[in-house]
Amino acid sequence: MPAFTADERTLLMESLDDFFSARYPFERFRKLSAREHPDGYGREEWAAYAELGWLGVALPERAGGSGGGLTELAIVMASAGRALAMEPLVSTLVMGAGAIERAGSATQQSLLAEIGRGALTISWCHTEPGAGYARAYVRTTASVTGDGFVLSGEKSFTLHAHNAERLLVSARLGGEDGPLALFVVPAESEGIHRKVASFLDGRRGAALTLRNVEVPAEALLGEASGGTVADRTELIESLIDRGALAVCAEAAGAMAAVTEQTVAYLKTREQFGQPLSRFQVLQHRMVDMSLSAEEARAATHSALNAHDGGDPDVRLKIWRAKVQTARSARFVGGQAIQLHGGMGMTDELAIGHYYKRLTVCEHLFGDGEWYLRQLAAGACAAA
Amino acid sequence: MFIHGNERDPALEAFRKEVREFCATHLPVQTRRKQALGQHIDREEYGAWLRQLGERGWLAGKWPKEHGGLDWSPEQYAVFSEELGRANAPAPVPFGVTMVGPVIYTFGTEEQKRRYLPGIARHDTWWCQGYSEPGAGSDLASLKTRAARDGDHYIVNGQKIWTSYAHWADMMFCLVRTDPDAKKQEGISFLLIDMKTPGLTVRPIIGITKGHHLNEVFFEDVRVPVENRVGEENKGWTYAKFLLGNERVGVADIGKFEGYLDSLRKLLNETEEDGAPLERSPEYQRKLAELEVSLETVKALAADQLAAARAQGSPSLMGAAALKIRSSEYQQAALQVIVDVLARNGLSYQTDALSPGWNGDLVGPEEMAGVLYEHLYRRAATIYGGSTEVQKNIIAKGALGL
Repeated sequence: MPAFTADERTLLMESLDDFFSARYPFERFRKLSAREHPDGYGREEWAAYAELGWLGVALPERAGGSGGGLTELAIVMASAGRALAMEPLVSTLVMGAGAIERAGSATQQSLLAEIGRGALTISWCHTEPGAGYARAYVRTTASVTGDGFVLSGEKSFTLHAHNAERLLVSARLGGEDGPLALFVVPAESEGIHRKVASFLDGRRGAALTLRNVEVPAEALLGEASGGTVADRTELIESLIDRGALAVCAEAAGAMAAVTEQTVAYLKTREQFGQPLSRFQVLQHRMVDMSLSAEEARAATHSALNAHDGGDPDVRLKIWRAKVQTARSARFVGGQAIQLHGGMGMTDELAIGHYYKRLTVCEHLFGDGEWYLRQLAAGACAAA
Repeated sequence: MFIHGNERDPALEAFRKEVREFCATHLPVQTRRKQALGQHIDREEYGAWLRQLGERGWLAGKWPKEHGGLDWSPEQYAVFSEELGRANAPAPVPFGVTMVGPVIYTFGTEEQKRRYLPGIARHDTWWCQGYSEPGAGSDLASLKTRAARDGDHYIVNGQKIWTSYAHWADMMFCLVRTDPDAKKQEGISFLLIDMKTPGLTVRPIIGITKGHHLNEVFFEDVRVPVENRVGEENKGWTYAKFLLGNERVGVADIGKFEGYLDSLRKLLNETEEDGAPLERSPEYQRKLAELEVSLETVKALAADQLAAARAQGSPSLMGAAALKIRSSEYQQAALQVIVDVLARNGLSYQTDALSPGWNGDLVGPEEMAGVLYEHLYRRAATIYGGSTEVQKNIIAKGALGL
């Protein structure tokens, strides 16, 4: 049974879209994505999201949240995608909060309330050089010490790792063949070397080298009961599925925006004595964009319903939605530029930035080709 | 159907070797390396290479001997372009040698030929192309930049856009409206404008690559001597069409395209997934094979263009349109696969890494910045030089009689 009714979801979506149109115009994106910006995202916006209850929309009520599911988060992500929002929403709310809620110890659960209050951002630091999109390829190790652990390894370039307050780091306990564990690492821990850079779409991140990073025992996600630590491979795979689906929602929002902008542009752009929107070839192209965006949205919605409804085939639906979204994002983004002609190639217009966002979305948590390969190999066991 | 043969010409093979050796000995190592990584090359470095080609006589190799060229056949020119592409040499900027030069020697006065052709052939002069305007893109003939006659000058007012390298150029060839009352194609003239003329302002346009080579150019009462008009007043559209015909031949960058596949093979070997090189993936082997097929087809289309040019004495506009459509699509497809391979490292875009001599921390493979730049830049491949939509209209009208 859905946590929010259809009316509540509509209200959520409308208040998100109202906020973004009023307070997150394209110029805001431009300012936040500029090299000189100290954070690479909007701290005031993050505080506003907290105040408006959006950071807590899928947090349990015991943590001050609204008890919503992934669908509610997806609604947030779609509106964020529409606005090219820069904030660490998926990494904090889907990956971070998701991991803590599912596997955190009793003490660690208090982090959820902090997340809901806007006091904490989290970066998902799991993928490593050599892994590609493989989900359990981790060489980072965590050695046990007297009062905690020492982490060493490399993590690939990932969103928000440049300044998130916590890094959610996967590591093998005891050695390269040990069980896979997750650690909530404070950003200021010694021994973390960051190579900071921008993503193609202007968001910021970092690649990490962890050299003997000491973390306290409480950093380990979940409790070590009786000396054994649970292997988190299944949790990690489930989190990645959810992250992938959340990014599908973000892409759906971006595709809707870009289709609307393209239609509006072609109605005003005149060549050969008439608006370009009168040419049938271009009309059909815009219809193709609209159809493709709708297919991605529908597939994503279906997967969200499966997820929140506890369907046994949720993984299959998520993977298929990711493949569909990747196809659509590529087509819709590319056509948006093409139909804007020379203007679509400028930094000045929003359209190129949407193209870049869609390109990043396409490749986060696995690209279409990877998911298709897994589906073809029948690698999709029940989640 | 299958009419023209593919004669193996030993002289052509010898020429190919000659060009290859010239690049190996004359292209500076640092220039080659910057090109390979997609790093920016400044005006001096680019100009130095083009001047070397000019000294060899190759820059204007396609021109008739009487105008300072070498009377190259279309095949020779194709070989020359291909080998430069293969060697990662900076390509000759087309505005001088390929575009305005032939217009001047075909329609210009003796004085104009004397004044401008040598500078073009030696690359003493950088040229840029003042064609498109904000309101005149695909519909170029609707251009509005006005040139009003005032004694022995034209006074030019208006704006051009998408002007490549205007910020480097010494001269611009420019389409202007000299008769606003005539039918649009019949009121256009072809002017040569000194970029230093008072009233002319260049403003950079930053692309989605975050790079700069395009500009807007504003004209405010810019005085251009009448002797800088090429050909007859109001007949500029004829010269423009002639030029566009030349622009669209040899648009397939075969050397560069083969370079993409070489990069892809290298990256597939170096990029791992789950600890194993991606080149072992049957899916990527298949993608590579499909790209190889597409490239083979593009090369065949290009070869047909050459054969037609040889047989008819002039390039086929239909063939040029087809080649432009397919080669731009191939270019985008190849780059997309390369980006897909690299994206596994996280899609970092470090534009700083495109400045040679930057020694910051590279995130990901060293090819990343250059590949992403090229991928973004070539989203315009289906837009510039006549968009795919325009090219299809050309074929629809010209070849299919629609």
